[in-house]
Amino acid sequence: MAELSHAPKGSAVAAPAGTGAATARRRPLPIPHLGRFAAAVGRRVLMLAILLALVFAAVELLPGDAATATSERGESAADIAARRHLLGLDRPVWERFWDWMAGLFTGDLGVSARGEKITQMLADPFPNTLLLAALAFVLTAVASVALGCWAAARPGRLIDRVIGHASTSAFAIPEFVVSVGLLMLLSLWTGWLPAVTVAGADGRPATWTMLITPVLALVIPQTGWNTTIVRGALADQAATPHVEAAHLDGLPVRRVIWRHALPGAVPAIATGLATSTGMLLGGTVVVETLFNYPGIGSVLASAVSTRDTPLIAGVVVCAGTAISLVLLTADLVRARVLGSHA
Amino acid sequence: MDINRRQVLLAGGAIGAAALLAACSSGSGDTAADSSGKGGKPRKGGTLRIGALGRAGAITRDPHGTQANESDYLILALTFDTLAVPGAKSNTVPRLASWEPSADLKTWRFKVAKGAVFHDGTPATADDVVWSLRRLRNTPAGAARLPGVKNADSITAEGADTVVVVSEYANADFPLMTRFATFVMKKDTPDKAVAKAPGTGPFKLDWYRNGNARLVRNDKWYGGTVYLDAIEVTMFETPQAMANALFAGQIDVASNAGPIAARTAESRKDIQVVRRPDDMSMPIVMRTADGPFADPRVREAMRLVVDREAMVKQALSGYGNVANDIMGTGDPDYAKDIPQRKRDLAKAKQLLEDAKFDLSKTYELYTTEDVSGIADSATLFASQAREAGIKIKVVKQESGTFYEKTWLKGDLYTNYWGTNDSVLFFASKTLLSGAGQNESGFDDKEFDATYRKAIGTTDKQARAKALHELQQIEYDRSGYLLWGMADGVDLAAAKVQDLPKLPGYGRVQLENVWLS
Repeated sequence: MAELSHAPKGSAVAAPAGTGAATARRRPLPIPHLGRFAAAVGRRVLMLAILLALVFAAVELLPGDAATATSERGESAADIAARRHLLGLDRPVWERFWDWMAGLFTGDLGVSARGEKITQMLADPFPNTLLLAALAFVLTAVASVALGCWAAARPGRLIDRVIGHASTSAFAIPEFVVSVGLLMLLSLWTGWLPAVTVAGADGRPATWTMLITPVLALVIPQTGWNTTIVRGALADQAATPHVEAAHLDGLPVRRVIWRHALPGAVPAIATGLATSTGMLLGGTVVVETLFNYPGIGSVLASAVSTRDTPLIAGVVVCAGTAISLVLLTADLVRARVLGSHA
Repeated sequence: MDINRRQVLLAGGAIGAAALLAACSSGSGDTAADSSGKGGKPRKGGTLRIGALGRAGAITRDPHGTQANESDYLILALTFDTLAVPGAKSNTVPRLASWEPSADLKTWRFKVAKGAVFHDGTPATADDVVWSLRRLRNTPAGAARLPGVKNADSITAEGADTVVVVSEYANADFPLMTRFATFVMKKDTPDKAVAKAPGTGPFKLDWYRNGNARLVRNDKWYGGTVYLDAIEVTMFETPQAMANALFAGQIDVASNAGPIAARTAESRKDIQVVRRPDDMSMPIVMRTADGPFADPRVREAMRLVVDREAMVKQALSGYGNVANDIMGTGDPDYAKDIPQRKRDLAKAKQLLEDAKFDLSKTYELYTTEDVSGIADSATLFASQAREAGIKIKVVKQESGTFYEKTWLKGDLYTNYWGTNDSVLFFASKTLLSGAGQNESGFDDKEFDATYRKAIGTTDKQARAKALHELQQIEYDRSGYLLWGMADGVDLAAAKVQDLPKLPGYGRVQLENVWLS
């Protein structure tokens, strides 16, 4: 971390990858910053609330409702009306939204269209998805920075071009193609890894090996995307006077990239990784289905098909909070690195 | 959006399947064929790992709730007993109860099986059954699940082991409907305790979590010897993932995996493909009440236009049989003697001409993607109809839209049914005039009278005659074009023996299964 003080706007850089809390401990945030932080949090919370309102409205626009979608074929119109009343679907949508939001503050996410407690339905799947996405996120970050630096160290040479093409095509392949490919290769042909995830009595994948293929399926496209960003940001930095100066001073390439170019590239990289969070969580819907991974992606897919608004909203709250936290961290990182220019 | 994703995933599975096929046919016939499916004398022991379809958002633990997940239903059916279960020789055989009707076929006495005991040791009594049936009757779908039972008061106990159920009308087939959801719990089980409530079934719940479960043998089961030590149920969102799990050796049985997975498995000698005939009907429904198909000659023409063999081969991948426009093909009393209707374009054209059917118009055939093969069947039929000069345009609808806008109302649409071992089931639910699910608006006085005759008699011969007449009417003039029946297809490792062969809910009867 100490090396980072050589960065362009030296004084502004503290701990680019550190959490807000860690930063605060080292150097207390002045009050204006705290205000800005609170405003950023407020914006994110507001965004989430708007998103939830949109979810309620969007489900309303879909044909059918939870009462018809979860009915048995034998039920008469009167039975379905009774169920509609039971589910509270005969009340106006804004009223249901309001009640649900009120419950949210007490940690109550309501019940699904089939009468199961939503907090309970998400208690295992959400941590499972977080685990999958977090592993994929860390691996993506490490791999893309490493590959980006490697390519930047040999600009225009063969390895730079190979990494460039490979990352573009990796990002262009949809998750499900990557998934099917990995499934064939690592499991069905070779028998090295399990083909699907089977959960045990604790609700977690029965063995850790079951995580490998789903994580890889998420990491490969996202690494493609982020490597391109890292490489691009490093190229921008290479053109700045202080990096050129370091080159002319005859410093080894590796040192120039690591100590002089990379710190300046951090805001762009952080933003790139932050946008990846959304794509990673989105990708889990596909990946979880293909590998039967017990996460919120599969809950969401089925909740949409049964018009189960509270359940969809519950998934959105979980995923939205996770994404918001990451975006907030990225904002903070940018703010710290770029200082008042942010 | 959801549909698209599913299609994409199906495509992914298909790519996988094709590649797998190539990989497997190129050798590796290693340890196969050592046990060819007939395993000799049943052996006790072992854990069966079974996969069943289900979706995380649709999980329900209530035996009297609406179970959309096959996995949930499987777990419930292993833990709890219903009064009756599907059978082979008779479509309804006793389980937790045997029965005796009154002479007028309105009052039914169910006697609780001797030795039936809940998993916690308390004996199952008439009070428990009454409480459970009443609970079922009081659910929103209660009227459909216990048809003819006016309300909870129609169910009473008579002594310690007899339950009296009164039907509003004479119904010789009353026990049939008790096969599906009459799961018996202990009296006064609170709603909160339902998820862990003890049943009387062949297996006891060890744990349940997020749709997956482990069950252990109930050594005290009254219904006979149970061989397996334990059953582990894993929920799968797609048949493809479930088949992959089987191919990778992570599960032993893929329940209801379907024809696409089965085709992949055909080339593997270490996997058995178990077909359960008459599992699913996917009729084309033509509106009889009004509209372009109201003339019975037009409907007959449509039935003569379809190429049934081609439909089974292409829409069902060959996993099925041709049918004869009569619903309930798995019924032991199914009329096998009514001649099989075959394609006859000349006759069809003549009938259409006689009926002055407008051939210049394009007719819309509504379909869904709800079950594998149904949309294909619609497309295929449209192209076959074109050969007779009938222009049909297939319109795919999302499930919710279909049930709201098309079902029970449309002129021409596809639908599917999972209970196919009873002619009377369809007669009462979908063909009787005024029935709640009369899909084609069928209103036929003769049919109604014959139906009442069939369910209102205890005389075997009179009943058989009435049943045959019913089927003849259906063959001649109902709103159904039933071209074929899809097999239920289970995939299993070679060591799994005596898997259920019955269609529909019969697939959950795992108490006789053993591992060689």
